[in-house]
Amino acid sequence: MTRSLRFPALLLVAALSAAACGGGGGSPAAPASDGAPASGATGGPVTSGSAGTLNVLSLWGGSEEAAFKAVLADFTTKTGWGVNYEADRQTYSTTLQSRITGGNPPDIAIIPGIGFLRRFAKDGSLKKVADLGVDVAGLSSSYPAGFLAAGTVDNELYAVPAKYNNKGTMWYRPDVFKTAGVTANPATWDEFKTTLDTLVGKPGAMALGAKDDWNLTDWFENIYIRQAGVAAYDKLFSAEGDWADPSVQKDVDTMLEVINDKYVVGGIDAAVGRAWTDAIAQVFKPEPEAGVFYEGGFVGGIATTQTNTDLVIGETIDWFPFPTLGNTDDVTTFGGDVVGALTDSEGAKQFMQYVVTPEANAVWAGTGAIVSPHTGVETSAYPNELVVREAESLQKAAEIRYDGADLLPAGIAGESLGALLQRAIVPGTTIDWADFQTRVKAAWDAE
Amino acid sequence: MAVVAPGGVDPGGLPTAMKAPPPPKVAGRRYDGTALLFLGPTAILMAIFLIYPTIYTIALSFNRGRRGEFNEWVGLDHYIGLLNDKSFINLSTFPPSGAVWNNVLWAIFYTSGVIFLGLIVAVLASRVRYESIIKAVVFLPMAIAATALAIIWNFVYAPDPNIGLLNAILDPFTERGISWLGNPSLVNAALIIAGIWGSVGFATVILSAALKSIPSEVLEAARTDGANERQIFFRVILPMVSLPISVLAVTLLVNVIKLFDLIYVLTNGGPGTASRVIAFTMYQEALPGGQFGRGAAIAVIMLILLIPIMAYNVRRFRSSRVV
Repeated sequence: MTRSLRFPALLLVAALSAAACGGGGGSPAAPASDGAPASGATGGPVTSGSAGTLNVLSLWGGSEEAAFKAVLADFTTKTGWGVNYEADRQTYSTTLQSRITGGNPPDIAIIPGIGFLRRFAKDGSLKKVADLGVDVAGLSSSYPAGFLAAGTVDNELYAVPAKYNNKGTMWYRPDVFKTAGVTANPATWDEFKTTLDTLVGKPGAMALGAKDDWNLTDWFENIYIRQAGVAAYDKLFSAEGDWADPSVQKDVDTMLEVINDKYVVGGIDAAVGRAWTDAIAQVFKPEPEAGVFYEGGFVGGIATTQTNTDLVIGETIDWFPFPTLGNTDDVTTFGGDVVGALTDSEGAKQFMQYVVTPEANAVWAGTGAIVSPHTGVETSAYPNELVVREAESLQKAAEIRYDGADLLPAGIAGESLGALLQRAIVPGTTIDWADFQTRVKAAWDAE
Repeated sequence: MAVVAPGGVDPGGLPTAMKAPPPPKVAGRRYDGTALLFLGPTAILMAIFLIYPTIYTIALSFNRGRRGEFNEWVGLDHYIGLLNDKSFINLSTFPPSGAVWNNVLWAIFYTSGVIFLGLIVAVLASRVRYESIIKAVVFLPMAIAATALAIIWNFVYAPDPNIGLLNAILDPFTERGISWLGNPSLVNAALIIAGIWGSVGFATVILSAALKSIPSEVLEAARTDGANERQIFFRVILPMVSLPISVLAVTLLVNVIKLFDLIYVLTNGGPGTASRVIAFTMYQEALPGGQFGRGAAIAVIMLILLIPIMAYNVRRFRSSRVV
């Protein structure tokens, strides 16, 4: 299979990276770099150094890519190592898996989901951070525990946090709120529903782009961690999780209180066929159709640089924390990418040692494209208020947890959680959670 | 492939073949060493790139297949799992659903739609002076990469009237836009229509050539005998192009079983798993899911589905009735 698939997979990547550029809603991702991993011939070194060259594979495009390249340039200046940078946004996991299976892994890879991290750590593809000359014990003073946990598999650190985003950010249009007569940002779930009620028809309550099903898993997780609590959240997204537990259906029922034909502009049917970037545009284009859009901190960057460059923070774009549900603790989820080494070459070691330094993280944060998990990065390093608040909200939260859907095993047979939620939000659908539990359990057991 | 080819050829093969004496003309010994020499390189390439991966895939389908390697024998687990997977095949509802059923829908509606429209365009275009222009226009979608085609249709089907062409047209008549790709009961029809749009040109060109090959004497004779145009079409033209149509149908069926790109870009198998097809499921399980064993099992199922079509093709090649 792998052997027969490897060549088609490469062709596929080549074909689809074109689609990634075209379909990215005007994403400024450079086609040349997106196409690079397919052929391996284009692209070439981003930086060249005297010490040698290492290969770095990432999934970032646009402003994230530009920011990472700034970090790579600084790395080359400091260490003399050149970097061959490849980015593949759409088919990242395919490319990485193909290269590992083909015996040609990149030295360094940015890994988006912890499910993937576990897979590559357990099959021995990832090198332990401790073996790369990094002082692992010393890292606990540089990173909050929740972040290091994200890179840990079987009590062994395989990757360090690269960047993250708060996923408890409810984006809204302050001007729309004002016109509709919403005086204060809702703090609780009931207040949130009242706010949505007020916004209906003026011009509309909420935008949703559920064609990208991870938008729905983010809704699910943020309700779950607040409604069922942190302990239940940890259990659900671990191998001991029980998806047939009533708390799971209760979460979906809560979701349906706001994700319904009354509040979602255009209705649920349309929302399932809408890309999430189109939903961002429904709220943040010059003539908004809705007042609220929920997704992580990265929405700010997309809305202000791609959807509508005339947005003014505090006037036409802002966010408030995801409303609380029963559980009064200040809890939230975050999503992020970790960076790991797939070879123990000297270049890979140098890079891993470099990427955990405060200096590297300050360069990164200074681009304004990411929030750095490194505690050595001052909030003054960020160029924009939205990002500063995003960083602060996670720093002061009592408990933070990694995006649950990214913790689940990647190999759930058949319908994934996101695909299942796409069905669940359609009125009148009954979900067979016991069946999902069987499949999730099987995937955990197979890891 | 071409890069690999020289390595697969025995460097001494060709000169030896040239020096070889002419084959002895003995009855019953029609195949000798010379034939083997000519077929050898191809056979080696086929073995490396076709037979070996096929056997590997079949073996892998009985294995857990982590990293695509053989590490844990699981017997028929993957096959049993697939038959119980409602997103793969679900016969408990009416109409059935799942990836296999979606492929059946594609096989029926896409294949017949393409042939039907292709035939209509070919027949009608042959009767006008600007035939080549019409054929060029209809053929144009064939020149578009399937991914680009999918992006075009993404704009046609988008649920919001300010983005989606169809909903912009329907906007005055509907309260809310129709979610062509977001509604499980519409999504397959929407995808099949996009697929047909992309393939009609291919059918038109093939059938148009077939129509041209009908001797004009036959048609004139039919007219002289008093047949009207409808009778000529159904009684004369259609039977005479039935062979090209069957070739076309086989090609389209193979395309259906291999179908992936359109689904991947337009819906990613969604909403839920409503628009998955077999090849998409194979990709989904093997690459993002990392379940190479299960992916291999799906590949084997695809292979089994293709065998009757291959057998039909081989039989046709053997017969003298090749187009």
